[in-house]
Amino acid sequence: MAKYDQKLIGELIDGTLEFYQLKEMMSGHKDPERFEIYREVLQERVPWDDPILLPYGLHLYIVQKKNGDRIVKCDCGHEFCHYKENWKLHARIFVRDTEEKMNEIYPKLMSPDTEWQVIREFYCPSCASQLEVEAVPPWYPILLDFEPDIDTFYHDWVKLPLPKGK
Amino acid sequence: MAKSQILAIDAGGTMTDTFIIDERGEFVVGKAQTTPDDEHIGLINSSKDALAQWNTSIEGEFPNLLAGVYSGTAMLNRLVSRVGRRVGLVLNKGTEDSHRMGRAIQSHLGYSYADRIHINTHHFDPPLVPRKWTVGVTERVDLFGNVVIPLYEDDIKPAIQKLLDEDVEAIVISLLHSYKYPHHERRVRDVAEEMIKKANKDIKVFATVDYYPVRKESHRTNTTIVEAYAAEPSRKTLEKIDDALRNNGTKFDLRIMASHGGTISIKANELARTCVSGPIGGMVGAKYLAEKLGLKNVACSDIGGTSFDIGLITQGDLAIDTSPDMARLVLSLPLVSMDTTGAGTGSFVRIDPNYRNLTLGPDSAGSRVGVCNPKSGIETVTVSDCHVVLGLINPDNFIGGAIKLSKERAYEAVKTQIADPLGMSVEDAAYGVTELLESQLRNYLESMILGKGYSPSQYVCFSYGGGGPLHTAGYTKGLGFEDVLIPAWAAGFSAFGCGAADFEYRYDKTLDINVTEKAEKSAILEAGNELQAAWDELKKKVSEEFEKNEYSPEDVHFRLLYRMQYQGQLNDLEIEAPIKQFQDVDDYQVLVEAFEEAYTRVYAKSALSPELGYSITGAIVSGTVDVAKPKIPVEPLSSETPPGEAFLGHRKIYWDGEFIEAKIYEMEKLLPGNKIKAFSILESTATTLVVPIGFEAYLNENRIFHLKELK
Repeated sequence: MAKYDQKLIGELIDGTLEFYQLKEMMSGHKDPERFEIYREVLQERVPWDDPILLPYGLHLYIVQKKNGDRIVKCDCGHEFCHYKENWKLHARIFVRDTEEKMNEIYPKLMSPDTEWQVIREFYCPSCASQLEVEAVPPWYPILLDFEPDIDTFYHDWVKLPLPKGK
Repeated sequence: MAKSQILAIDAGGTMTDTFIIDERGEFVVGKAQTTPDDEHIGLINSSKDALAQWNTSIEGEFPNLLAGVYSGTAMLNRLVSRVGRRVGLVLNKGTEDSHRMGRAIQSHLGYSYADRIHINTHHFDPPLVPRKWTVGVTERVDLFGNVVIPLYEDDIKPAIQKLLDEDVEAIVISLLHSYKYPHHERRVRDVAEEMIKKANKDIKVFATVDYYPVRKESHRTNTTIVEAYAAEPSRKTLEKIDDALRNNGTKFDLRIMASHGGTISIKANELARTCVSGPIGGMVGAKYLAEKLGLKNVACSDIGGTSFDIGLITQGDLAIDTSPDMARLVLSLPLVSMDTTGAGTGSFVRIDPNYRNLTLGPDSAGSRVGVCNPKSGIETVTVSDCHVVLGLINPDNFIGGAIKLSKERAYEAVKTQIADPLGMSVEDAAYGVTELLESQLRNYLESMILGKGYSPSQYVCFSYGGGGPLHTAGYTKGLGFEDVLIPAWAAGFSAFGCGAADFEYRYDKTLDINVTEKAEKSAILEAGNELQAAWDELKKKVSEEFEKNEYSPEDVHFRLLYRMQYQGQLNDLEIEAPIKQFQDVDDYQVLVEAFEEAYTRVYAKSALSPELGYSITGAIVSGTVDVAKPKIPVEPLSSETPPGEAFLGHRKIYWDGEFIEAKIYEMEKLLPGNKIKAFSILESTATTLVVPIGFEAYLNENRIFHLKELK
């Protein structure tokens, strides 16, 4: 079974691997230790100490607070809400619902017709990182993307203890 | 004392094989590890290894050689690692991006089945010519050769000037439908050559129509770029090999294996067709052997360290694929048609963590053999490790003992990686792996033959390659081949094939000649004259190539071929013309009859559809000159009982649930006429033939083993 170290997984996260390395990872069987190493690499990179339970997006994590809460947190440190809630309801939103706003990011005629589809951009209120983009009909409810079963994942799948704070 | 005549070289990815044949048809196979950076080193080592078996040396034998043929990876490596020249490309204005778009398909050429549908693995290699060295000229010709937009002369000079400013080292010109209407390409070529002359630069110009006047612009453009990009540098590599040989006393002109199954000179104008590496030498050898033995239909199977290759010889002819892919490029080269699957003796064996089943390959340890090779650094079990565990290969006699294999390492690796997780004994696990490999190969071989509309009972199976004879019994079991033959020189069969190949040039040209079923005489004459004009053009090219090696056209034996189909079909058949020259309507009838005869043979008589009319889609000319070739040995028959000196003793092997004492023989010491009963293992330095229970082997007077399944 393939075995990768922190350096290689770090490069995978950075997108700096050579293609042949990626190809080997994709075509071979998955390394069972991937999650553990991946989580450790991410943990070393964030400027705060709350243990990461699960990466949630490019800048978002579900972290363990001292009081036992599981919180969605941005890598800048901004805390959104409990992980069972939809963090997007606590984010800043920019909606592209006019032709003019659409044509800031698409050439004319290549952008969606805003009567049919709008683009909703979700930002971190602290660092203004763009965290997610939805392309939905104008009236559409805000989507809850992911409701992970963290305990089952740790106990039954990767068979690891839940990470604890320092 | 042997007097060497022919040297054939197969510098593969793993080993460099040399095959040296003497005047009596005796031969010796040498092996050494390939040295991809300086191939001549591996080649000389391999020759030394071969000649040492005759107790002689390079100094003694090289001056006797009459001919030498090389096939290897020199050209392919250059392409794969993208170390070629700076080529500029002239395309139709507006289509400059077509080359680097790779026709989409180049993102997944050469992929295993699993990777083809695993979309994230798809990947474009860098284009041979980057966009900044690609320019366009305004012109357009339609598929009938009509000029729709005349060549806009004012575009040519600025386009070429841009390439000159970028300091390109070669220029390729490829315009749409130029094979039909060559004048625009040639005009651009002439202007470019004038400008280069004026600028006093040494830049060669390649118009596709002068090199590969065939349909499919991606294939044609790539092939011509390969010519400009890799051919000249490869010529230097080949010259180095030629020099190395001459410095060691040879006097012949080195020839190279080309994709169409013939050999060409290293001085050939078109070298792109030498970027074939690998197993076609075996097919050519099989064709030669089949001719000598009077066999018409042969299924060739070659197990090497990395792949299992099969190809069919039907009615004495190799099938040719006219738009193959190599090095992840679509090309317009005539390539001996073969199918390959990524399972060889070096294939890695793993247990799928999700389904707990055994998987083989598709990656392979290649020359590093497996865990059993302590110096390999390999940690994953390979099929070879299973052979060692079962006792099928002798760990002290691998490549004549050049690599010492460790049975303990193999045993431990099979135990921890395969046997323990599956809850099996180590021997059963190893045996299961070989059975899995053999059943995969058997299914693959059968489906290929059935898929082409034949049955194995119509074919004789040739089995060769270093790993072939170990599994021949397993992968031919129950298929009902007419006969199963294993040449005693199986391990060097590809190299033997190079030695047996004709000195042959072949050129193709696309045509679009349509004739209705009951055509007027004038229409038939017009069609025939167009075909003849194409043949004449190609004959001239063939003659010119031979002239470089001082053969006059009278020395050349020409074969005229054509590709024909029913109108509207997408695939055509390649047929040898039974006529020497097209003269009148009767000749056309002969061509049609030859086509329909071939069509009946390949498909069925009831598939004939003359009412659709006929299309001639291509003209082909092949020219050969006589060269020295290996003789097939003929030896007197001896008794059925193998001589005592061939018997090396017993070895304990594990087979189908039990330990057996197998008889071990030294392959070279067996005599024609000997019958070898199961369970026997015939060892040679570079190959091992297994005669398992239910089989019997017979060595005939040509030193070819017949493996017979006992009913």
